[in-house]
Amino acid sequence: MEKSDLSHHILSRFNDDLERVRTNVLKMGGLVEEQLRLAVEALVQGDSRLGEQVANSDAKVNAMEVAIDEDCSRILATRSPAASDLRLIVAVIKTITDLERIGDEAEKIGYIGSRLASEERPADRYREIKHLGRIVGELLHEALDAFARLDPAAAVAVAKKDRLVDEEYEAIQRQCITFMMEDPRTIRRALDVLWVARALERIGDHAKNVCEYVVYMAYGKDIRHLSMEDVERHVQTRLRRVP
Amino acid sequence: MKLPARLATIGWQAAYRLAATLALALILGLLTGHMALSFALVLAAYAFIQNWNLIRLERWLRFRSVQPPPDISGPWGDVVAIVHRIYLRKQYHRSRVTELLREFRRLTTAMPEGAVLLGPENEILWFNARAGDWLGLRRKRDFGMRIENLVRHPSFIDYLHTGVPERGVVVHDAGQGGGRWFFFHIVRSDNGLRQLLIVRDVSREQQLEAMRKDFVANASHELRSPLTVISGYLDGLADDDKLDPAWREPVLEMRRQAERMNMIINELLELSKLESSETTSDDRPVDVGALLAAAQKEALQLEQRPERVHLKIETDACLLGSESELHSIVSNLLSNAVKYTPAHGEIELRWWLDDRGAHLSVRDTGIGIAPEHIPRLTERFYRVDAGRARDRGGAGLGLAIVKHAVQRHDGTLRIESKEGAGSTFTCDFPRERVVNRVTSQALSV
Repeated sequence: MEKSDLSHHILSRFNDDLERVRTNVLKMGGLVEEQLRLAVEALVQGDSRLGEQVANSDAKVNAMEVAIDEDCSRILATRSPAASDLRLIVAVIKTITDLERIGDEAEKIGYIGSRLASEERPADRYREIKHLGRIVGELLHEALDAFARLDPAAAVAVAKKDRLVDEEYEAIQRQCITFMMEDPRTIRRALDVLWVARALERIGDHAKNVCEYVVYMAYGKDIRHLSMEDVERHVQTRLRRVP
Repeated sequence: MKLPARLATIGWQAAYRLAATLALALILGLLTGHMALSFALVLAAYAFIQNWNLIRLERWLRFRSVQPPPDISGPWGDVVAIVHRIYLRKQYHRSRVTELLREFRRLTTAMPEGAVLLGPENEILWFNARAGDWLGLRRKRDFGMRIENLVRHPSFIDYLHTGVPERGVVVHDAGQGGGRWFFFHIVRSDNGLRQLLIVRDVSREQQLEAMRKDFVANASHELRSPLTVISGYLDGLADDDKLDPAWREPVLEMRRQAERMNMIINELLELSKLESSETTSDDRPVDVGALLAAAQKEALQLEQRPERVHLKIETDACLLGSESELHSIVSNLLSNAVKYTPAHGEIELRWWLDDRGAHLSVRDTGIGIAPEHIPRLTERFYRVDAGRARDRGGAGLGLAIVKHAVQRHDGTLRIESKEGAGSTFTCDFPRERVVNRVTSQALSV
């Protein structure tokens, strides 16, 4: 299931192509992870300059998406890959779309962060957002790890964790509503915080999508819109079959 | 029977044995009269013994790790002895290497640093437990994977592909438990086939550094407001005509010291501002020539100054950077030169371009600096001669500010000096920062 899976081609150039695409996707993933981390940090620390920096450097992520996309179409056209190679390319094309969206959400958080920096900070110093940001960051990290290792079992485990993010988001939402009712002057800020929480929740969903592509890549089974229990059972039986 | 070494080889021994056998067959043949039969029987027995020995040797070679060597006399015995010797030696070496490897593994596990062995394509070949723990690598499973697929920090990837190996890179890891700072350093073998990646946890250093910077910035800021009050009252007192004349001199001295303190605080604040970020953020083309000309004019207006202050502008190129920081470089260097150059000396300001980049230098014919002081000059509050420097005013922060400001422009500060003959302070800026006037005008529009 590892690198050996990709290096079975007699044409070593083909192997190189596939390996390069995969490495580039993960490089893009690393960039997005950093963006997310900095965006949340900018918001929590009230660092408007950092926030602007995050908002401005989304172009790098977009450029990488375009480059990888082109690389994929070139491989499709010149090598006409089949079976697991084709699945890899398809999964890559989908993954980079999700990663790019994550970059956009991070950009949004950075932008809001730089705006909130000039306003009065709440008593809890955005502890909830920080917490949610850490969970989502870990989720994204583990999703990309599963992609790197082509590890469907880990991918399913990560996808299941997305529920945690949803719960966290609910809690923040409820808290914001309480604040707004208690003191209408905080409505503006609470709405912004809500936007950030929403963006983080979306990032969690995108990370979950990446996990689904990992399962598709490994088994050729599309698990989108299936219940997590079914998916888990499926992966378990597949794992048992492979000694 | 003792034979010379040359005749004691296995080949000769075999020949003697064969000769003895043939002689035995001849004697038997003569005694019995059946020459052919006795030769046949004796040779058959000889061949049987040889074969039997061969079989024993083969069996022993096959199971030599559990069986003792067979007790065979004659040439076969010698063969067994030689093989046994080789075998023992090999076993000795192997056990030494295994022991060494085991020691090595034990040591690397106990090491406070993480270590990852990489192949030419950055694929993971081996790592110690600490690196696995820190970087989230899994034993066996991740062997053969490219390291950049699992350690995805952008600055780390940049360092791995393009960075200067000697410099290393510090990366913030948001992972488990609040985040940590790691320092990565790579060592490559001469042929480039193996790379050793060393990982160190530098969170403590980073925290201390951040604390130090915060402390300096906050303390200077907090000291400023009480000092303003003190200076205000001192100013009032000094201007008061009704003041007892006996107090006049002490009040004036207090005012001078308060002014000095204010200057130190301002410089500390400037330094901590320079330290807070690594590179300049708002870069614009700055006309260094004009900056130097203005500085020269200012210097010429001073009362106590060297006789001549030259200006040598050899290029009209501009430097991409922050104007206020470049101004502070020039004014700090020039005020140092003025302070330490006698009235009959001279100062030269020079700005020139060559194929390595742009250079800014301030040369004086002052008192010079002894070589042992030069490496420490840019430390904060470092003084070559404490008493003298205080007489001439100055906080001891000027060169520290210059060094930081130059570094933020990707440059280096060079100091050359000879005691009694004068000093030259040169700032070297890289080519990438140089823009010529035409483009700079286009940029500023």
